[in-house]
Amino acid sequence: MQYFMQLLISGLAIGAIYGLIAMGFAVIYKSTGLVNFAQGEMTMITAYIAWTISTTVSGNVFVVALGAILAAVVLGLIIERVVMRPMLGEPVFATVMVTIGLAVILRSSINFIWDAYPHGLDVGFGRSIVRIGPIGVRTGQIAVIVTLLVLLAVIWAFFRYSKIGVAMRAVAADDRTALLMGISATRVHALAWAASSVIAGIGGVFFALSYDLSPAMFQLGLKAFPATILGGLDAVLGSGLGGLLIGITENLAGGYIGSGMKEVAGFAMIIVVLMVRPFGIFGERDIERV
Amino acid sequence: MIKYLATASLLLAGAYLSTTPALAADPGITDTEIVIGDVEPLTGPPALLGVAASIGHKIAIAEANAAGGINGRKIKYVLEDDGYVTARTIQGVKKVTDVDKAFALLGISGSGQSIAVMPLLEKAGIPTVIDVAPVKFLWEPPRKNVFVVGQSYEEGIIHLVNYLAEKNPGKKWGLITQDDDYGITVRDGFDTVVKARKLNVVYSGNYKKGQQDFSSDMLQLKESGAEVFLAGGIIGENIAMMKELEKLSIKPVVGIFWPGRVEPVLKLMGPAGDGIYAVDYVEPFAGAAGKAFLEKAKGLLPEAEMKGINRYSMTGYAAAKVLIAAIERCGKQPTWACTIAELEKTKNVETGIMAPISFGAGVRFSNQKLQIMQSEFSTLSFKPVN
Repeated sequence: MQYFMQLLISGLAIGAIYGLIAMGFAVIYKSTGLVNFAQGEMTMITAYIAWTISTTVSGNVFVVALGAILAAVVLGLIIERVVMRPMLGEPVFATVMVTIGLAVILRSSINFIWDAYPHGLDVGFGRSIVRIGPIGVRTGQIAVIVTLLVLLAVIWAFFRYSKIGVAMRAVAADDRTALLMGISATRVHALAWAASSVIAGIGGVFFALSYDLSPAMFQLGLKAFPATILGGLDAVLGSGLGGLLIGITENLAGGYIGSGMKEVAGFAMIIVVLMVRPFGIFGERDIERV
Repeated sequence: MIKYLATASLLLAGAYLSTTPALAADPGITDTEIVIGDVEPLTGPPALLGVAASIGHKIAIAEANAAGGINGRKIKYVLEDDGYVTARTIQGVKKVTDVDKAFALLGISGSGQSIAVMPLLEKAGIPTVIDVAPVKFLWEPPRKNVFVVGQSYEEGIIHLVNYLAEKNPGKKWGLITQDDDYGITVRDGFDTVVKARKLNVVYSGNYKKGQQDFSSDMLQLKESGAEVFLAGGIIGENIAMMKELEKLSIKPVVGIFWPGRVEPVLKLMGPAGDGIYAVDYVEPFAGAAGKAFLEKAKGLLPEAEMKGINRYSMTGYAAAKVLIAAIERCGKQPTWACTIAELEKTKNVETGIMAPISFGAGVRFSNQKLQIMQSEFSTLSFKPVN
């Protein structure tokens, strides 16, 4: 039982990070209909900026958190304005290719701006180990699980009750009708990119806190993508939960079947789920009337 | 008339030879310059080794240039980034040989990348000294123009496991390796000792390249009761493994391999990284030779590049020293044939940072002497152990 619980808690912790990044994917898809293949790289850049703040400005956790959130907003807005907005109205394939190009540029920028060495994000929090009976867990891991749960509730309320949230859903459902109703699609898109950058960036910062910061961190995006497919590409909350499911599945497979199965388990799971529900567990069925 | 034409032809030929590169037969050499090419991963995670190796080359080249160059010719260093992508390594080698007209090559990226460019190097016949990722395929069978400074991964692992087995008789063993050519080599070396010494292996894991969370793997290791653990990760993987072991409150005897023996890793591992054993053929930075190397680098490198130095800078430096010395011994008119012949004659070349380097007739591998080191968290350094 102790073995199972240790696997479960570790799975929840890494799954919460996948979940946050997966929510970033879903926010952009829900608002713009686009899959952002640079999500992992945006996550990594925000984490590196947080590290820079912690080593140059202040190591205070609140200063680092605020700085990282602001940086993520700016990063999302710049990408939307400079890279994505000129692609409005262009074929989806071309736009997706732009995000792939963006991913390569952001990935390479790490070595140019920072370096190839791994770094630890030290904000005086997150690295200490808490013992729950015989089970050890880092405070950063507990914090990321709590943060994901809080964000799930906040985002649910945001889409359900706020004007901007409703506007985002309207643009996602039918951007032309939304435009006729006076909703600015470009503003909604900008907001979506900023929000996505912040949510995924939080995941990146927590990863750096619990693990480390390195140029390989962009690969988190590759792990989070199955989570968003599993939860539903258009389901922000579902993507968050999908992350948890992937994290737990990976860890249980790694712990009970073998190390080699760890990386495969998540993908095997989405194949099975998509065969039954092609739009993901929480995704909406896309109905086209002819 | 015939006499006049003959004299004119001779004069023209003389004038041509005095204004064109010293020897038109071999590229990359003029009266004032010799071009040395290199292809390394300068972006992405493996940049940790590529940048460091190129810094080592730069130190040796700057040292030679400061002393007047190679018999009066300054060395020009041309460096290409392959991003650790084999197709780009091939492109990079073609670029430095065909476009930049390199006279000789150093480095050449990772093991898989070096293997991939081997046919290209053999066909070109360009003198090459490989120093980043020594694997047997690079010197077995020996290629006329390709020399390797270092020690084989397999020998390194055998040396380390033998040492740990002698120090920890009768203990239970655990191993985890990466699912690529590097991991296979580590596993092969490990298996050789396991067979020879009949070690009791209770855990054997294999992780996918790029894996960042090792919680379930280390939990399995704990459950297996392993007392000696060979962590076959490179950099980030080993850090993640050590932190998981700390979380699980277990501290087996741990061995790591030289690609992960870089000092910044110890800071990230924290106290969990104290007492880790490593094997290497270059001197640790904490020793007198290491300190002298850093002191030398300070005078030859820009400040910004100093932080990129690690053990790969030492291997790069040693390889570049050997190559430069060979070209130098060819005198005023170095050629590829002479450089290759002189490389072959390399005998006990001292670099100060590893055992003397030698090649020989048909010997293209320097077969460096190995030593075991142990990490010390309080000083964030590795120190040799007896």
